[in-house]
Amino acid sequence: MIYFDAAATTLQKPTEVALACARAIRTCASPGRGGHKPAMAAAQTAYDCRALAGELLGVAEPERVVFTMNATHALNTAIRSLVKPGDTVLISGWEHNAVTRPLKALNANIKVAAGPLFDQEAVLASFERELTGDVSCVISTQCSNVFGMVQPIDKLAALCREREVPLIVDASQGAGCLSIDADGWGAAFVAMPGHKGLYGPQGTGLLLCGKDVAAAPLIQGGTGSDSVNQEMPDFLPDRLEAGTHNIAGVAGLLEGLRFVFAKGPQNILEHERRLLARARDALGQLPGVELFCDPLGKRQGGVLSIRLARMDCESAAQWLGERGAAVRAGVHCSPLAHRTQGTLETGTVRLSFSAFNTPKEVDRFAELLETMIRKGV
Amino acid sequence: MVYYLIICKSLTYAQRTASVLSKVGITAHIMRTPRTIASEGCSHGVKIAQRRLPDALVALNRAELSPQRVFIMEADGSYQEVRL
Repeated sequence: MIYFDAAATTLQKPTEVALACARAIRTCASPGRGGHKPAMAAAQTAYDCRALAGELLGVAEPERVVFTMNATHALNTAIRSLVKPGDTVLISGWEHNAVTRPLKALNANIKVAAGPLFDQEAVLASFERELTGDVSCVISTQCSNVFGMVQPIDKLAALCREREVPLIVDASQGAGCLSIDADGWGAAFVAMPGHKGLYGPQGTGLLLCGKDVAAAPLIQGGTGSDSVNQEMPDFLPDRLEAGTHNIAGVAGLLEGLRFVFAKGPQNILEHERRLLARARDALGQLPGVELFCDPLGKRQGGVLSIRLARMDCESAAQWLGERGAAVRAGVHCSPLAHRTQGTLETGTVRLSFSAFNTPKEVDRFAELLETMIRKGV
Repeated sequence: MVYYLIICKSLTYAQRTASVLSKVGITAHIMRTPRTIASEGCSHGVKIAQRRLPDALVALNRAELSPQRVFIMEADGSYQEVRL
């Protein structure tokens, strides 16, 4: 199988990930729920994962690395912590439903900053223009899950610091390949899945919390700490981690993080960009294929959207899937991104790469797409 | 054996406390806080040898980790809070 759907979930994982999950099921109990060996083994796994994630993602204290179920859970927590009903929130034009739906549920007044695709300067200028005094929070993806456009987060973070507006970064597509410096950015929250570029299992995610940020728990319950108090603890990570942890998932995520750490995010990014460039060169030769590519190559992660002139995107993905090429079609849970780019009506076919993809797979995919176009499926 | 127990507000803090102490050569064991002194309910503490408390407090201060409370376990098994 050619698996080009890493932006949804990386399918191929380091071997150690599954082994660690299985080992944790056998040997780990619940962190903080006992002083016995299985509980302490779980505690050590959780701590090692927090510490390594903090080192990789620029968080000085491990307690500010919070485990979540996924990026959506992390984003909901971040948004509920900072946005009150009716607040004005400024978001990028490429946000996922994991951002826009919680804002809608809060009846927030949503302002959008956007610009031409891959034009970071224009996007930043739009943020500068729209970041008016009524904005209580800024939210931006680090990398579009549809088009792979890398947002100018360093500069946006500086702008937010200067204007003293809290920033939430959705690092769902950036974590594991783009540089993340949560403390350096001064971000209030940085949210990410564990199961994409960090190569952990599904059901894992991370929420990196800024220093002294008032985090509001989505759920309440046992934390194994401060138990007499009927309020949730006021300290992290306990405040945001009610209930038993997905410790098997955390154990797998730890191995995923070790893989990323050993390989180096920059090396993974360069690998994915090489695959993307190869795909661009090969698919660009085919008739009726529209590619959404950064002409400079440096403002795009390992995500490539294409549009086919005479073919519905879902039909194309179905045909490809039946022949062993896994891609994602439609609006990718990001209608805002498609609206910004003018592709909402048609959708796109998305190819997204991981560290495990190869140039040969790109070549085979191009041959398959050529066959599909030639046959006029 | 007499030892000190540094009470931490959470397991993660206890783990970080133990990590900081280990890095400066102080053997530290994480344990559940005995119920008789855990007035807030479940919590964790870090156990260190009696003679290492001054060094431990210096190291924790450098790491900006302030212990919630510190107890000494006497030879008879009772705990006495230590005023820092």
